[in-house]
Amino acid sequence: MVLVAPRPLLRPAPPGDAPADAGTGAEVLALLRGDAAARPRFDPGLAGGLRAWLEDAAYDVVATRGEHAPPLFLGPRQLLGSHDELSGHDPGADDRLDPSRLVHTLLRQLVHTGEIHDPLGDALDALRAAGNEHDVRRIESLGPAARTALAETLARHARNLTALVPRFAPGWMPRTNDRVAIPLAGGRIVLHGMFDLVVGLPRPRTASLCALGLSTGGPWAVARRTLHYLSLLETLRSGTPPFRLALLESVSGRYGVEDVREEHLRAIASHLTAWLAQDPAAHGSPPHG
Amino acid sequence: MDSRLMDALVEPVPAVDAVAWRFALEGAKTKLAGLAVRRAGATRFRITDHEVRTALTTESDDPGRGEPFAWTARTARRSIGVAAVRLLAGRAARSPLEAVRARLAESSRWVGEGSSSATQLDRWVDGLTPAGRAAVGAEAVTWATRLWCALDWSSFSSPPEIGRDHWWDSPHSALLALRGRADVRTDHAHLVVLSGPRRGSVRAELALVTLVESLRLRGDGGPGRVVGWWPDSGHLVWVEPEPAALTLGAEAVELALGGAGASLRSAA
Repeated sequence: MVLVAPRPLLRPAPPGDAPADAGTGAEVLALLRGDAAARPRFDPGLAGGLRAWLEDAAYDVVATRGEHAPPLFLGPRQLLGSHDELSGHDPGADDRLDPSRLVHTLLRQLVHTGEIHDPLGDALDALRAAGNEHDVRRIESLGPAARTALAETLARHARNLTALVPRFAPGWMPRTNDRVAIPLAGGRIVLHGMFDLVVGLPRPRTASLCALGLSTGGPWAVARRTLHYLSLLETLRSGTPPFRLALLESVSGRYGVEDVREEHLRAIASHLTAWLAQDPAAHGSPPHG
Repeated sequence: MDSRLMDALVEPVPAVDAVAWRFALEGAKTKLAGLAVRRAGATRFRITDHEVRTALTTESDDPGRGEPFAWTARTARRSIGVAAVRLLAGRAARSPLEAVRARLAESSRWVGEGSSSATQLDRWVDGLTPAGRAAVGAEAVTWATRLWCALDWSSFSSPPEIGRDHWWDSPHSALLALRGRADVRTDHAHLVVLSGPRRGSVRAELALVTLVESLRLRGDGGPGRVVGWWPDSGHLVWVEPEPAALTLGAEAVELALGGAGASLRSAA
């Protein structure tokens, strides 16, 4: 596989909270666009090889857990220790109020309307439309001080997002919350995750998509690995990975853009197989012992 | 474009033994007639893929299945999404984002004008704040983009029918109706966009589409292949128009109505 490897860019995080060195949407867009003539084509056998590797590991887990154990759903939270909603809803997550979920609703709004008027109010309206009344009630029941603090936190994220997120023309086909779920071992193990934002038109045998991930403040390295994990899932789903990734950190305004390389996919597949090969107790007990 | 999906939609369906087909169709009609007579006097009952799935799965297979219906960004995405894809196919919009915006604007216009076209969904959309509407639009854009980008729309010999559900009303009881849901219908196939986990009930859900198409057919010709597609995984499952599909569909209806179908339940 030959992938273009221009300059991976990671802007340094500014000290403290000041987003003085924050990036701009125009910069991110220019880096995502890159050299339009150099969209990579790559080995059509790569996806099959990666799948075979993971299937072997998955069948070993099934052999340990038993044929009739319920399906094992694994996302970035379990596999990578991600604590960001980058990975989408995780049924195993605890029930604490997570500002990350609200920031993600603001990203969706920004992508689809280009503006955020009232960060907390808009996020609450989005949660209501999503039928998430539980979170709405919890936020509305906050005391004045806590609510003000939440509003200020969201306003800071919204400012950085507004500066950082490119305004994609509709022709780029921007879509948010693109869920990926890859069944292994006949569906007994499911690897899942969610792209925060994908742009581009899928083309057979050509990596033609760009994926953008939103980190709301967790470790940068984990958020970056989560994007590599999602790239692996996309490779398994469509046969090709996204060709370029952008990670946007809304709390600081910093960002990074890099190409997807074969070694990223191999590294994350290796991590998954090692994770699956670990102590079977970590995978959940079979229902009948 | 998903070449495997396109192949499933355009490849010719296998030939079917006409005698066996007629026999299975008559058997399905007889079973449905019996069900209608048995339920005479009951409240109206409409069998959709949802009822089949509910009858064949457990709470752990399908979390939230018992919750009452409410419009949310998630429950609205298919209705808005297919309308958007229809606009794209008709060249009335150039991108899913534009198409969804146009459809949402249509909701407000219909409600504002008091149009008879306005549905419960239109009134719900119209009542949302701009931020709520953005959330609904975002969900529909993703749904529509995945479908729009998965197919080679120019390769169909005639324009596909997009997002039209087909109903069959029992001639034996005005209270029994079956719905076949398909998101795209071509000359040879019916595409059903699936969500949620892979489940044992899916073949019965698709067989219901085969059954409805077969019951609605007039004259010669078959109902076509029914293709289920999970955009999350790219996984495909399809039901060929075979006699066994009619039997499966009729058994699924029976089970959804609380009848026997025990063999079907255990198979799922």
